[in-house]
Amino acid sequence: MLLSDEEKKMQAGEYGPGTKRAMDLLVKYGDSFDAKQFAPISYGHISYDFCPEDFWNLMTEGVTKTPHRVTTHPSYSPEVWRKWGLPLADNWADEHERKLKRFLELGWLRTETCAEYLLGIIPRKGDIVSMGGSCMQVANNSLFGARVDRMGILISLAAAVCGRTPLMGLLVPENRFASHMVELEDLDVSNWTIAHYHCLGYYIGDQVPGFKPVAVNGLPPDLAFDFARALVISMPTSGSVTLGHIVGTTPEAPTLEAALRGKKSEHIIRVGKREMRQTWERLNVWDDDAVEHVAFGCPHATIDEIGRIAALVEGKKLKASMLIGASAPVEALARRQGWADIIEKAGGHFEPVCPSITNPFTRPDIAGKNQAKSAATDSARSAHYLATVSHVKVFFGTEEECVKAAISGRWKGEAPRWK
Amino acid sequence: MEIRAHMVSAGKAEGEAVVYKGPFSFLGDLDPANGKVPVPRHQLEGHVLANKVFVFITGKGSSGGDFAAWDAKKNGNAPSAMICLESEPVLSGAVIAAGIPTVDRPEKDVFELIHTGDYVKVDATSGIIEIAEK
Repeated sequence: MLLSDEEKKMQAGEYGPGTKRAMDLLVKYGDSFDAKQFAPISYGHISYDFCPEDFWNLMTEGVTKTPHRVTTHPSYSPEVWRKWGLPLADNWADEHERKLKRFLELGWLRTETCAEYLLGIIPRKGDIVSMGGSCMQVANNSLFGARVDRMGILISLAAAVCGRTPLMGLLVPENRFASHMVELEDLDVSNWTIAHYHCLGYYIGDQVPGFKPVAVNGLPPDLAFDFARALVISMPTSGSVTLGHIVGTTPEAPTLEAALRGKKSEHIIRVGKREMRQTWERLNVWDDDAVEHVAFGCPHATIDEIGRIAALVEGKKLKASMLIGASAPVEALARRQGWADIIEKAGGHFEPVCPSITNPFTRPDIAGKNQAKSAATDSARSAHYLATVSHVKVFFGTEEECVKAAISGRWKGEAPRWK
Repeated sequence: MEIRAHMVSAGKAEGEAVVYKGPFSFLGDLDPANGKVPVPRHQLEGHVLANKVFVFITGKGSSGGDFAAWDAKKNGNAPSAMICLESEPVLSGAVIAAGIPTVDRPEKDVFELIHTGDYVKVDATSGIIEIAEK
């Protein structure tokens, strides 16, 4: 790679050992993809809780405040887990607190969410952002037209420390046209909910090899934001898709021609009733109907979602534990609306944690003997990780079915009648 | 026999080959505590990848693949070297950060020439895969 004078200084160790190590790592990484130069980032997004502490210390040693903004992924709240009676919470506390202290010293923002666009941190079209976390990578790329490359948690820390990332992959406009195209066949989407779009995205992610951009054709134009978001964020769960154009909705796909750069796609993925039915079935992994936990907020909940849940649980007492993954600012708004109190009174909980990978109620290494052995969700991403990381039974259905299950402790969800 | 390939992550290592004609993620497909494949119904379920030369197609899945690789390497449970057809950013970042010698884009069909159990030397820095004569 060709380095600027500033980048050479970083490599020479003039900004301390952490920055030097981060730059060395980024140069090796860029070289392996034949990147020619670095691109400055608009902002960086990292995860301190997911980052092994020794790597975290190596990369941040000697780093002072960065000139660019750095934000963070959903994080842990061991002190809250303790209050909720989860017996292994203390095992997580010390490392979390050490890394958080360092994080704040760096002047980085404790956004603690996988949906920063709900906080007003929205990249503009064309902005280059480095980030770990495939859910917001695909959301920022697809829904806002930001330039975000696929990248791991460790590399995203190195990029945040140095304020740059190798110019390659999805940062290069020519690489952003769809190579794969999805055609919906004979599907009436008029009564689809968020869960239906999750299901579609999960199927698509499984069908696209690697992280090739994909264009979804045949949905109503100007699809509601919550539907578009559910569709794209489910793709990198079953696969690695990092850019999903929705024709007529997302900024780089006003038309099919624009998404495909006027070419005909050689790779067409057809989705009909059979594919949707099979995927919905695949996301449901359970035998008896006892529901011990309900997980919402994957990706982190919108204020509208919280309002709908509050309306359904008002005056009720939940039989199953309920976690709503939400950022602190969205939770604060829900509290001002009176909705957070309604949900908590019914027995629900809020936390800016990942309710899928690090759900404290289903993770045996947090909940210990109090582990919930089954969980319901309306998110395909949650369903996937609850089953594969927490190894619990999973019920996948609509938001309303999940709330009803939380109230009754029983699953009455039904597979949709695909039209 | 020698096969030329493209360096992803520098270094030299050798070992017995494990060949898998599918994609791989360090997060989920390898237990960093014992170096085995923990996935039920996976073709390699229960197979040890630790200190083997792992031959596969490409990376996949979560952006947490790199921290999982870091943990596996720290525990001595990472493959000694890796050979894939074409790497991708999470996999490349993982093997470079963790220091696992890795090559991709081999110039010959590694799935035809390398079989599970063969002894393979990988000089990633020079971009050379060497298969020991039986």
